[in-house]
Amino acid sequence: MFGWNNRRNQLLQEFETHIEIQTQENIEAGMSPEEARRAARKKFGNVLLAAEGSREIWGGLWLERILQDLRYAVRSLRGAPAYTATLVCTLMLGLGSVTTMLAIIESILVRPVALPHSEQLVQLYSEDGPDGFSVSSHALSYKVIEELQRSTHSFTGVSGYNTMLRPVTASDGTRITILTAVMPEFFSVLGIQAKLGRPIGPGDAKAAVAVVSNEFWRERLHADPQAVGSTIKVSGQLRTVIGILPAGVHVPQGTGNPVVYLPVSFNAAGEDDFMIESAPTIARLKSGVSAQQAFEDAQSVFAHVDRKSGERYRRLAMRSYRDLVVGDMQKPLLTLLGGVGVLLLIACANAANLQIGRAANRMPEMKTRSALGASFARLLQQLITESILVSLLGAALGGALSYAAIASVRHAYGKQFPRFDELSVHPVVLGCTVVLAVLVGVIASIAPMLNIRRQTTAQFNTKSVTRKSRLPGALVALQVALTCVLLVISGLFVRTLQSLQNVKLGFDPRGVTTLVLMPEQQNQDPELSREIETRLLHRFETLPGVQSVTMQTEVPFSSYNMALNGTTDVSGRAFRQGDTAFYSMVSTSFVRTSGIRLLKGRTFAPDNETGSAMEVLVNQAFLKKYLGAQEPIGTSIRFHRDRGETDADLPFAQPMTIIGVVENEIQGSDLGAPYQPMVYFNYLQLPKGSLLGAVFSMTAQYAVRSSLTPAVLASELRAAVIREAPTMVEMNLRSMEDGIALSLDQRRLALRLVAGFGVIALALSAVGIYGVLAYSVALRRREIGIRMALGSTRTRAAGMVVRQAGTMALLGLTPGIAGAWAAGYAVRSFLYGVRTFDAATAGLAGIVLVLVSIAAAFFPAMRAAKVDPVETLRAE
Amino acid sequence: MSTRDTDHQLELMQGTLDLLILQTVALGRAHGHAIARSIERRSGEALQVGHGSLYPALQRLLKLGLITAEDGISENNRKARFYRLTAKGRKQLFKEASRWQKLSNAIALILASASEENP
Repeated sequence: MFGWNNRRNQLLQEFETHIEIQTQENIEAGMSPEEARRAARKKFGNVLLAAEGSREIWGGLWLERILQDLRYAVRSLRGAPAYTATLVCTLMLGLGSVTTMLAIIESILVRPVALPHSEQLVQLYSEDGPDGFSVSSHALSYKVIEELQRSTHSFTGVSGYNTMLRPVTASDGTRITILTAVMPEFFSVLGIQAKLGRPIGPGDAKAAVAVVSNEFWRERLHADPQAVGSTIKVSGQLRTVIGILPAGVHVPQGTGNPVVYLPVSFNAAGEDDFMIESAPTIARLKSGVSAQQAFEDAQSVFAHVDRKSGERYRRLAMRSYRDLVVGDMQKPLLTLLGGVGVLLLIACANAANLQIGRAANRMPEMKTRSALGASFARLLQQLITESILVSLLGAALGGALSYAAIASVRHAYGKQFPRFDELSVHPVVLGCTVVLAVLVGVIASIAPMLNIRRQTTAQFNTKSVTRKSRLPGALVALQVALTCVLLVISGLFVRTLQSLQNVKLGFDPRGVTTLVLMPEQQNQDPELSREIETRLLHRFETLPGVQSVTMQTEVPFSSYNMALNGTTDVSGRAFRQGDTAFYSMVSTSFVRTSGIRLLKGRTFAPDNETGSAMEVLVNQAFLKKYLGAQEPIGTSIRFHRDRGETDADLPFAQPMTIIGVVENEIQGSDLGAPYQPMVYFNYLQLPKGSLLGAVFSMTAQYAVRSSLTPAVLASELRAAVIREAPTMVEMNLRSMEDGIALSLDQRRLALRLVAGFGVIALALSAVGIYGVLAYSVALRRREIGIRMALGSTRTRAAGMVVRQAGTMALLGLTPGIAGAWAAGYAVRSFLYGVRTFDAATAGLAGIVLVLVSIAAAFFPAMRAAKVDPVETLRAE
Repeated sequence: MSTRDTDHQLELMQGTLDLLILQTVALGRAHGHAIARSIERRSGEALQVGHGSLYPALQRLLKLGLITAEDGISENNRKARFYRLTAKGRKQLFKEASRWQKLSNAIALILASASEENP
């Protein structure tokens, strides 16, 4: 290698010449040829040592030694296939799971978003608003955005956008599609060029055009290269496709779904259809401007702009674009990384233990090599080489494993979570894995090395009855401790899921089907929508097998909810900042359909649908916050009017009278969220012309209680929609119970992962305990034999081994449970309905661990019981 | 390997072999055997060059660029490798030689006074 062989041959040749010359001289001096040659050789000395000495000068000897070590390691590992397989599998699991997690974190949290100079992109948003009406807590109004565009100096561009679901018709029919209404600057701020055609630009504000994502182009337009210039129908309006985005551009959500982009349309007042602040905002910093400067600039503009309604109480905030895309993924991902880190530690302890056992078997070999002149450093190098070799093998297999895992995660969740479609194992991650593997290899070989040092430097080989090393036991205890942490955390997750499943819903989901419809024409007159929706409501009520039907703007677990958070005056109470409630519009049979319990008063009366007095129901949380001991029935509430606001700024000015109190029910789709004060009012009583009518007629959500099977009911409902309201498009139709199950999905995924870690850890620990006990029994055969000869029984011998297993497990449990306490505190935000330290869960984990330890001790114990005392004594 | 158990032969001090080799090849190119022979002869057979150290030393000097090697034919018609001093090697030789001279003078002075005190 590297011409060394040539140089070495040359050198040996030179030695030969030297010896020949010397021989010649000796002959000339009168020796016989044979004698002359022997004398010359004797004078020259050890040819190979001289060669080795010269080689050392050339340098690179270390490399040759490593190669030699590698060859030796491969040979010796091949000689112990069971050991090698166990070790490699252990490390493959440990390193593979760490690589997978690192790859996910690198792809999602570390890698910059694939947009030009994405580090300059920021999101501007408003936060901390206890009051006011807001559609999205992060949104700004278009007026504010336009002011930011005009008056700030730190940005090359500012653009708002709004995302919604709408029916989109292409040649393959009508489907519900993600729609992003963007301001004309959107694509230039993000720095996106079209793959075909052109993006939406400044001239397109009022044009009936659309840009589609690459996924939309491939899935809905059959990847037609002539697609630019074709027309699609969005919410009933024909639009010309002017551009197709390049593959991999997923703005702004970061998920790889088909998306249609439209220029946002404004009314005369410069507001969009929602008429309240609704646009998330992205801006690009000028190069050279720091984020802080830009933020101060934007803040001063925001402070002086004339803001309306809720926005006036909010303050501006800014974060990076990447945080906008993946902000809420950070914590769960880092938590999972902690989990796999623990797994790797367990694997590492296992590897150390396996190597200690193997080193004990190799002690004669080590002693021989030491006696032949190998220095301790040389033995050490050999051992570390072998350990690192195994480690790298584990890393290679683990890497392959993580490639497969990443591919399947990308496939399964690519469209569900932001940036998951970009997942891949990048070289930098593999680099980290290699470094980790080398580290693990070195660390795992330290313990056996110390053993070898002790033994090879010992003066003579004592034939001790019992040889004991405390280290393997300590390592097992560490494993047990770490496994205990993982098991307890999985236990807490199971408990969380259980408590969420048992959470009091406040309504009865059985037999309820929800249907979400949307008018195909988005700009349809709100009064017309309302009329159609009411007609449909009454039509559904007459269907056979249907018990009752209600409309609801907020259906639990629906993703089409419209929440109105309104400042509220309660009569008999002085208004304070933060006096708000959520307003949900329902229809007359709401209480009957939902199964929500009426605690006090009465529900909406059918004959009062067109009456002038607004009647409302409030929930317990409302009662508790605003009425206290006051009699709720008959109390009047109204929207709070701030100084300077007119009635036109309010959703409606009429007072509302509380006629009943209902139980708290789940709001939104988070089972663990606290209850908010709620006001339910009858949709049919909403004053004509209220801005709520326009907002809330965008979608219509029906809940239908029926004794029919879901499939039959679904077809009945669909048929009724087609007959009665063909202009309404179905967005979603499912049973309430499916919706609840779906809402637990993400938590279930987390649970599955953590529980998976727990199971792997348990398996690794079992292998570790087994290995240590098997090794210890092998070392103690003589002791056991002597004990038996002295009258001990087989049962006692086996008991001794089992006791050893129990001791190791118990030693590990104490720090393990303490660790679980700390870990439980660290993951407390993911928990619900269970305390960070749950004694029952910890106890269960402890019992499982002790049982597994004892099971792992079974075979070594049997072996101990089979020790033949006669054989042992004969060997003495 | 550089020592023999006979009393009249001396062990070479660390680094002195290099100096002796440089001095030897300064007289003209020479192969390994000739260098060893030359050192032994010129020291009146007091110094024995162990070949276990001669060849590593030659390799070291080659690596430092103080000497170069070339293939040639020895006086008795054998293919051999000849070593030759480089310009850099010559400079090094002068430096080391004067340093060695100073060192040996200093040691001689101290030893002389020691032998006066303890006759």
